[in-house]
Amino acid sequence: MNKPALFVYHRSRAVKTSLLFIFIALVCVLFSDIAITTLHPWQEMKRLAGGLLSPDFSDVRNIAHALMQTLAFAFLGVSIGAVFGFVLALVFDYRLVHMSCAVLRSVHELFWALIFLQFFGLHPLTGVLAIAIPFSAICAKVYAEILEEADRSPYNALPSGSGSVSRFFYARLPLVWVHFKTYTQYRLECGLRTSTVLGFIGLPTLGFYLEVFFKQGLYSQAAALLFTFYILIASIRWWLRPRLILVYLIASLYLLLPDAVSIDWSNVKRFFSEDIIPYPVRMAEDSYSAMQGLLTWLHELFWTQAFDGIIQTLVLTQIALVLSGMLALMLFPLITSHFQGYVGQKLGHGFLVILRSTPEYLLAYIFLQLWGPSMLPAVIALMLHNGAIIGHLCGRYANAIVLPNNPAKGLNLFAWEIVPRIYPQFLAFLFYRWEIIFRETAILGMLGIYTLGFYVDSAFEEIRFDRAIVLIAITALINIGIDSLSRRIRRYLRLKTVVQCS
Amino acid sequence: MSLMKSLLFIFFLFAQVNLYARADNPTRDFVFTAIPDQDETKLQERFGKVAAYLEKQLGVNVKYIPVKSYAAAISAFRNNQVQLAWFGGLSGVKARDLVSGSEALAQGIEDQQFETYFIANTATGLQRSETFPEGIRDKVFTFGSKGSTSGRLMPEYYVRKHFKSSPKEVFARVGFSGDHSRTIALVQSGAYEVGAVNFKVWQSEQQQGKIDNKKVSVIWKTPTYPDYQWSVRGDVDNTWGNGFKEKIRLALLAMNDADLLAAFPRSGFIAASNEDYRPIKNVAKEIGLID
Amino acid sequence: MSFSFELNSATLRYKDIDVLSNIDLSINPGEHVALLGKSGAGKSTLLTTLYQQQQTYCALVPQNVALVEALSVYHNVYMGQLNQHNTLTNLLNLLWPQRKPVAEVRQLLKLLELDEVIFKATGELSGGQKQRVAIARAMFQGNQVLLGDEPISALDSVLAEKVMQLLHAQHKTVVLAMHDVDMALCFADRIVGLKNGAIAIDQPAKNLSADDLQFLYLS
Repeated sequence: MNKPALFVYHRSRAVKTSLLFIFIALVCVLFSDIAITTLHPWQEMKRLAGGLLSPDFSDVRNIAHALMQTLAFAFLGVSIGAVFGFVLALVFDYRLVHMSCAVLRSVHELFWALIFLQFFGLHPLTGVLAIAIPFSAICAKVYAEILEEADRSPYNALPSGSGSVSRFFYARLPLVWVHFKTYTQYRLECGLRTSTVLGFIGLPTLGFYLEVFFKQGLYSQAAALLFTFYILIASIRWWLRPRLILVYLIASLYLLLPDAVSIDWSNVKRFFSEDIIPYPVRMAEDSYSAMQGLLTWLHELFWTQAFDGIIQTLVLTQIALVLSGMLALMLFPLITSHFQGYVGQKLGHGFLVILRSTPEYLLAYIFLQLWGPSMLPAVIALMLHNGAIIGHLCGRYANAIVLPNNPAKGLNLFAWEIVPRIYPQFLAFLFYRWEIIFRETAILGMLGIYTLGFYVDSAFEEIRFDRAIVLIAITALINIGIDSLSRRIRRYLRLKTVVQCS
Repeated sequence: MSLMKSLLFIFFLFAQVNLYARADNPTRDFVFTAIPDQDETKLQERFGKVAAYLEKQLGVNVKYIPVKSYAAAISAFRNNQVQLAWFGGLSGVKARDLVSGSEALAQGIEDQQFETYFIANTATGLQRSETFPEGIRDKVFTFGSKGSTSGRLMPEYYVRKHFKSSPKEVFARVGFSGDHSRTIALVQSGAYEVGAVNFKVWQSEQQQGKIDNKKVSVIWKTPTYPDYQWSVRGDVDNTWGNGFKEKIRLALLAMNDADLLAAFPRSGFIAASNEDYRPIKNVAKEIGLID
Repeated sequence: MSFSFELNSATLRYKDIDVLSNIDLSINPGEHVALLGKSGAGKSTLLTTLYQQQQTYCALVPQNVALVEALSVYHNVYMGQLNQHNTLTNLLNLLWPQRKPVAEVRQLLKLLELDEVIFKATGELSGGQKQRVAIARAMFQGNQVLLGDEPISALDSVLAEKVMQLLHAQHKTVVLAMHDVDMALCFADRIVGLKNGAIAIDQPAKNLSADDLQFLYLS
């Protein structure tokens, strides 16, 4: 058999690494808390299913309003993020730039929103910036990677003495423009998800009503909102036209501006100059007692909250990572021409769109209502969402494979022909999402699972922003660590960088 | 290219309108909020009427804005995005600590002697008792909101007092349902075995027939403590004229329309002071919820 | 405005491997040189080195054509004069092609039989067409020296001959890596043959026949 050389060459490393991660996940399961604690989980699930089957669209006005707001935040946030990301990508080689981008994107959108909420309140800027800031950093990184991978030979063939701006616009940008466009569109999809989830902390987007409806068990109303959201995402390529973008942006501003009351900058100043200064430092008389107090304070914060949060977050992340990978391998045949006919592929696509466009935050929230508090809801939510995304990417990759004339069928085809060919790519996708899964895991704590987000949320809830900032910083630091570890592993496995899935 | 141009144009527009909004300040709305302690779909319904009442009594534009969490209510109050708020005992203490000159104006008649009910799913077999129910140890337990007085502070205080350890150690699992209506629903459905709930919410849901007594029942009532109150920022007189604060207090005390009072739900309001809430502050300090 | 290519005991590397070691070569203005040798003999590496030595005077036709496929033929050719206009003019011309440069480019393209596809995206062209676009871009620079890495490899013989004539007529100095020995002998006045990491032969073309060069291709 003509196995692709690439795979044979890397087999041992790829397989060994996979086994190591599976082993780590199994150890994590021992330390995890996975259970269904509700007395009658099926009863509530039946009600949910009933609600999903009978969506109630009667509240058209609220649905339309929430939908518009969701779109407006996403449009403004993603546009600003893309523009800044583009500018930053040009200077991404500077250490300062890529380090700050790594920091900015290691903080989850919801944490950004919680921070801005403290001084901007429910001002539209809170939502717009919560999307724009991390998205600038992510776009900067991905745009820079796309530029990096683009063919440099036309650039080198230019006559010497050509201006750098002219060089860039003639021999660099046209080469990457299509990739930029595709990626930015994907980013908008992410932006819509983020915008939706921002509703959970009070912005007037779909999440605001979703949370209320799910909380009150009004599943039919919730279903109506969900279906609206799916249709919006699935139809993106019909309504997202370059020529319409200006119209959308103006409409977004028109929608959000009425809520943009003037900003009281003294609140902003107070937040940065007082609120986030650690309590003992703020209260101390002299620098010695400040130092002393700070150390005790940090020590206590770390051992009573952060440490436990870190362990729980890591345990959950590792389990979710492996399960996402497994699910992805099971899902990708659904959209692959080697296994599905035209109709099957379309159906598979629809299924994956639904799974991957449901924000994991929302999924976890729903499962938490159904199964009670444990790690289970979070694990399943992360697995479904990330599994669907990686499955989608693997499926697209597998579709490009041309098989020898007489391919095997069914399981043989899957195990002997397809999986070996996509495996390196699959691992690249999975490791690329590792840091994202970690970030999401931390955030799910806000729903009541004891990951880092739980303690961050508690600190905000107790108006102790000093603690919140330290905990967010810890989360960001670990996130950066995982990012660089993942890059090392990908290099060790000699996996090509994949930019489309961050 | 055109995308870039349009973005610049839009920023320009944004800046203009923002300036305009700033200049437009003098006819400022008087804004209030309330902690989201019950069914959030009913918030606007509950407090919209109160806004209309206050507008009539105070002679200024009054707006109610709903918030998603206790902390958001406190932050809005602190940032002067709202000037008046219907707080719980704990959230009121925190908010007033953060805004100097702010004061508790009025409390509900029932708030002088508030209670928390510990409720249990009947499947647990836990029975009503006069003394602290030791049997709740190792059960799956839910508080209300993390920032609630009756749903978090007081129940946690009594749990710590009796078991000499933190709720996380006492119970098999600890959750935060988010609000009191939700606590009742979750204990009733069996998602949690035991919960702590605001007694007024329990009574009002009982009256509305929302509670299935075969599935959930009260197993213990805490001793009484002071709870909800209206708090106002100290600087309202500067904006709306001398005596405005007193005008608010009188309007609140004069609220006697049953329909309005049902929003809280209280039978009436009486005057309150910051000093009334010292016990709450002490308890919060004791269990480490405030520095 | 005088230049010459000078290599003294130079060792040239490609991807960390020594391709040519310890070679001496000098090329004077006015010479028309053909580089011959098997693929992998180091012709491209040598050309690249020469190009880097005298970038200001040289126009280059790279082997992989190095075109921006998303842009039109016109834009790709215009890139040859990117250094002769200010940035604003360049950007304006990217969005809205200006009449004057379009006329100039069209005239050049006519010589290369490409004027009909002037506003077509380069990505849609055939291999031979792309190669001629790369040649047009180099010619548009109007430099005295032309360096070409197998610039006619994808052209049919009639067109190839026409292009060779043009290249040699319009540049004072020409250095081309060639795979077609007869064509090289016909147009160049000096032949440099590479073999086994060294210069195996360096003689005036008029002294040589195709048979004399056969040894370069034997292993």
